[in-house]
Amino acid sequence: MVSKNKKLKKSFLSFQDTIFNLQKYWSKQGCIILQPYDLEVGAGTFHPATTLRSLGIKPWRTAYVQPSRRPTDGRYGDNPNRLQHYYQFQVLIKPSPNNIKKLFLNSLSSLGIKHEEHDIRFVEDDWESPTLGAAGLGWEVWCDGMEITQFTYFQQMAGIECHPVSVEITYGLERLCMFIQNKKNVFDLSWNNQGILYKDVFHQSEKEFSAYNFEYANTDNLFKIFDMLEDEAKLLTEKKLSLPAYDQCLKASHVFNILDSRGVISVAQRAEYIARIRELTKMIGKIWIESQI
Amino acid sequence: MSEFFLELFSEEIPPKLQINARNKLFLDLNNFFKDNNINIKGSTESFSTPNRIIINFSNISKEVVKKSQEIRGPSVKAKSEALEGFLKSQKIKKSQIYLKSTEKGEFYFYKKPKQKFKTQDLLKKNLPLILDKINWNKSMKWGNNQMFWGRPLKSILVVFDKKKIEFDFYHLKSSNYTFIDKEFEDKTKSFNNFKSYQSYFKSIKIILDQDKRKDFIINELNNLSKKNNLKINLKEDLLDEINNIVEKPKVILCTFDKKFLKIPKEILIITMQNHQKYIPTFDKKQNLTNYFLVVSDSKDLKGYIKLGNERVIEARLNDAEFFWDRNKSQNLIKQLSDLKKINFFKGLGSYFDKTQRIKKLSSLISDELMISKEKIEIAASICKVDLKSDLVGEYPELQGIMGGHFAETQGFEKEVCQSISEHYLPSGLDSKVPKNPYSVTLSLSDKLDTLVGFFGLDLTPTGSRDPYALRRNTIALVRLIVENKIRIKLRSIVNYSLTLYKEQGYEFDITKVLKELNDFILDRLKNYSKEKNIRLDIIESSILSNDIDELYIGYKKAEVLNRNINKEIGMDVVGIYKRSSNILNTEIIKNKLELSNSVDIGLFKNDFEKNLYKKIQEVKKYFLNVGKNDNFEDSLKELFKFKQDVNSFFDNVKVNDENELIKKNRLELLNLLCKSFDNFFNFSKIES
Repeated sequence: MVSKNKKLKKSFLSFQDTIFNLQKYWSKQGCIILQPYDLEVGAGTFHPATTLRSLGIKPWRTAYVQPSRRPTDGRYGDNPNRLQHYYQFQVLIKPSPNNIKKLFLNSLSSLGIKHEEHDIRFVEDDWESPTLGAAGLGWEVWCDGMEITQFTYFQQMAGIECHPVSVEITYGLERLCMFIQNKKNVFDLSWNNQGILYKDVFHQSEKEFSAYNFEYANTDNLFKIFDMLEDEAKLLTEKKLSLPAYDQCLKASHVFNILDSRGVISVAQRAEYIARIRELTKMIGKIWIESQI
Repeated sequence: MSEFFLELFSEEIPPKLQINARNKLFLDLNNFFKDNNINIKGSTESFSTPNRIIINFSNISKEVVKKSQEIRGPSVKAKSEALEGFLKSQKIKKSQIYLKSTEKGEFYFYKKPKQKFKTQDLLKKNLPLILDKINWNKSMKWGNNQMFWGRPLKSILVVFDKKKIEFDFYHLKSSNYTFIDKEFEDKTKSFNNFKSYQSYFKSIKIILDQDKRKDFIINELNNLSKKNNLKINLKEDLLDEINNIVEKPKVILCTFDKKFLKIPKEILIITMQNHQKYIPTFDKKQNLTNYFLVVSDSKDLKGYIKLGNERVIEARLNDAEFFWDRNKSQNLIKQLSDLKKINFFKGLGSYFDKTQRIKKLSSLISDELMISKEKIEIAASICKVDLKSDLVGEYPELQGIMGGHFAETQGFEKEVCQSISEHYLPSGLDSKVPKNPYSVTLSLSDKLDTLVGFFGLDLTPTGSRDPYALRRNTIALVRLIVENKIRIKLRSIVNYSLTLYKEQGYEFDITKVLKELNDFILDRLKNYSKEKNIRLDIIESSILSNDIDELYIGYKKAEVLNRNINKEIGMDVVGIYKRSSNILNTEIIKNKLELSNSVDIGLFKNDFEKNLYKKIQEVKKYFLNVGKNDNFEDSLKELFKFKQDVNSFFDNVKVNDENELIKKNRLELLNLLCKSFDNFFNFSKIES
C-alpha cells in the first residue's frame, strides 16, 4: 500500500511543484532565485540576468522562471504540444563549475527522475542566437527520447568572447512536466494538486494571442514602433545607459517576432531586421562591460 | 618491450568530433613513434565512446638509440658569434669540434656521439604537444580555463610500461586514473595496463571498441526484428551516428498507434530516423509498420524508456497528423496567389513569378519530350505551393514530396503528382534521377530558371564558394539530360528563359549569360565525366565539337570512345587519324596550301588512291544516313573499316609527288579522310 501511494504521489508532481523543486534545488547550489523579467522575451536567455551577466569576469549564479513568447508557435490552443507562450526554467552559472553535469542530473532527481531508470543522453546541439550575437556549444538533453533541457557553454555573447565561460541550463517546463505527469496534451497538465489544469490558466490566452499574432496585430504600426524603439535604444547607448537601452532592444525583438508571425517579413528583410537588433545588442554589451570595471 | 596506453575522459563529445579526434590522435602518435625511431612490435589500436578516447600500442621499445651523427656548424669565415651560437645550441666546448673542407668551403663540424633516450621521457615531453595538435572542427572553452577541447576534458590517463606518465596539460595533470562513472564523475579508478582497463569496462557492460559495438548493435537489431517478423533497411550513416552516441547499447522494440500509418510514410520515416534516431521497420511487402527500434544507452529497468520513447513519437506524430489533416485539404490552386508573398530571390521575383516562368519553360520542353502540355503546365503552376504548408515548414527536406501528396489527395493526375514530388531530384551525386518525362521536364525547367536568374544577377560561384548551390544544380541538370538520354536544345531554352525574365521586367545581359552559362554547364559535364572515369582529353575533345545543345551526344561519344580507347579498334582509329592529319598539317603549313575540299578523280594514279576514295564515299554515306541514331559503337566500327585502305595507301603511295598537282590532290584526299573522322569526333586533341 505504501509503495503504491508513493508512486501515485510521484506522478502528481504539479506544474507549480516542479518550479518550487527546481527553485529550491538551485537555491541550495548557491544560485540567487530571481523573478521573470517584466518584458516579453523569446527565451530565458534574453533576461539581462543571463545576457548581460554572462559578460565580464564577475562570478554569477542565478536561477529563475521566464515566460517566453514565440508568436509563430501559436496554434489557437488546438495543438497538444505547441504554445506561443510557455515557461522556461533558466539556470546560469559563471564560471561553469566542474561538476555541472552532476548538479544537473541531481536536479532531475529532485523532480523524481532517477538517471539509472532512464536513458539520459547528451545530444550535440550547438546554439546560436543571431539576434543576440551569441553562440555556445553543448547539448540538448534527452530523457527517454524526449528533449527536456538545453545545456550550453556560452562562448560568445553580444559579439564578445566569453571569459570565464558561463554554463546555461534551460528546462522547458511544460515538456518536462508532461514527461513527469505522463500527459499527452499540455493543456491537461495539473497546475496544482487542487484540480486546476494548465488549460484553466492558459487556454483562452493561447486562442486570443494566436488571433492577435497571426491576424490582428497592426503591422503598419509595428513597423513604426520597431524604428522608434531602435532610435531610443541608440540614444540610450550614447548616454551609456546599458540596461534601459537593452529594454528597448528586447521590445524591438518582440515586435519583430510579431511581424514575422504576421508573415509580412520577407527573407531578405528578415536578415536585415535581425542584423539591426544584433547591432544594438553588441553596442549594449560593450557599454555594459565597460560599466562593470 | 612495454605497453603504451592513453585515455582522455571528457563530457559527451559529438560523434563526428569524437571520430576525428580519435583518428588524428592515433595518426599523430604513430608518427611520433616513427619519427623518433621507436620500435612498435605489437598491435596499435584506437577506440572511442562519447566520453572516452583510448589509444593502446603494445610491445614498444623502452629505449631508443640515436646513432652517432656528424653535424655541420658555421663556416670558418663566419663571425665568431655564429660559432658561439653553435657551441651553445649543441651544449659543447670548442675542444669538441673540428674543421673539415667541403665543396662549399671549410666548416666546423661536431661528431655527436650515439645517444640513448628513454621512450618514457620522450613521451612525457611530447604528449602535451601532440594533444594540443588535435584540430577540432568546433572547440570550446569552459570555466576559467584556457584549454580548447571538443567538450570539457576531465582527465588524462597515460601509462607506459605499467607506470603513469605525468605531465601538465593546461589546468590538468596526467595520471593513471580515470572517472568510471560518466554521469556524476564521482568515482575514479587507477589502471596500470590496458588489459585490466578493458576487463573492468567489460564487467560493467561498456563496449569500448566502436567496431565491436557497431556489430553488437546490428546483431541486436537484426535479431529483434527477425523475431517479430519485421524487416529493417539499415542506413550506414544513421547506424554510425547511433553507434557513436552510446557505450552500452540496448535495443528496445516500441510501437506507435496504427492510425498514424495513414500519414505519408516519408514524414514518419524522417521523424523516426532524422529527429529521433530510431530505426523504422517494414513488413514483408516493404510497407512501413507501426513498430520501431530504439537503441538505448541504458537497460530499461522499469519499462520507462520504452514508454518514454513511445510517448515522444506519439507527440511528434500527433503534430504531423494535425498538419497533414490541415494541409492536405488546402486547395493548391486557390493558394497560388499566396506564392506572391514568398520571395524567391531579390531581383528574381516571388515564387509566383518563378512558377509562371517554369510553366512556360516546361511547356516548351514538353514539345521536345512529347508529353501533355496541359498536364505539365498544371504541375508547374502548383509545384511550389507546398512551400507555404506547415509540413514543409516543419520538414523542409520534404519539399516537393509533400506537394506531390497534396496533389494526389486533391485528385490531380498521376503524372502531375509524381512530377511535383520529384522535381527537386536529383539532389546530389548519389541521388536518384527521375525517369518519368514529366518529372524530368519540371526538374529541368526549375533548375534552368534558377541558373539563368542567378547568372543574370552575376551571382556566379567563385572558387570553392557556391552559396546558391549552382554547381549542384547544374550537375543535376547534366545528370537529368545525360542519364535520360535526352536530346534537347538547351541554348534555345536558356534564350527563352531570358525572354521570360525580361517579360517580368528582369533584364539581363543576354550574350553574357548565354556564354557564361554555356561554359559553366560544360565544365560540370567535364566533372561528371571525370566521376565516370572518362579521360579528360576525350571529354574535352567531345565538348569541342558539341555545345550545350548536344550535351547528351557529347557525353555519349566520349563515353564510347573512352571505353574503346585502349582496345585495338580505338587505338587504330586514333592512329589512322593522327597519321593522316599529321602529314596533312605539316604540308599545309610548309607549303602554305589552301585546300579546296574536293578531289579530282582524274588525277588518281593508282588503285590505292581510288580505293581510299571509294571508302571515304561509303563512310560519308553512312554518316549521312545515321541521322538521330546514337549507336556510336557502330560509327566507331565504320571508321575502323578505313584501316586496310589507309594502310595500303600509305604503304604504296608517296604523297609528296614531284608533280605539284598530284601532290595537292593527294593532300585533298587526306583532307577528305580526316573530315570523315570529324563526322564522329574531333580527334585532333586526343592523346594517342
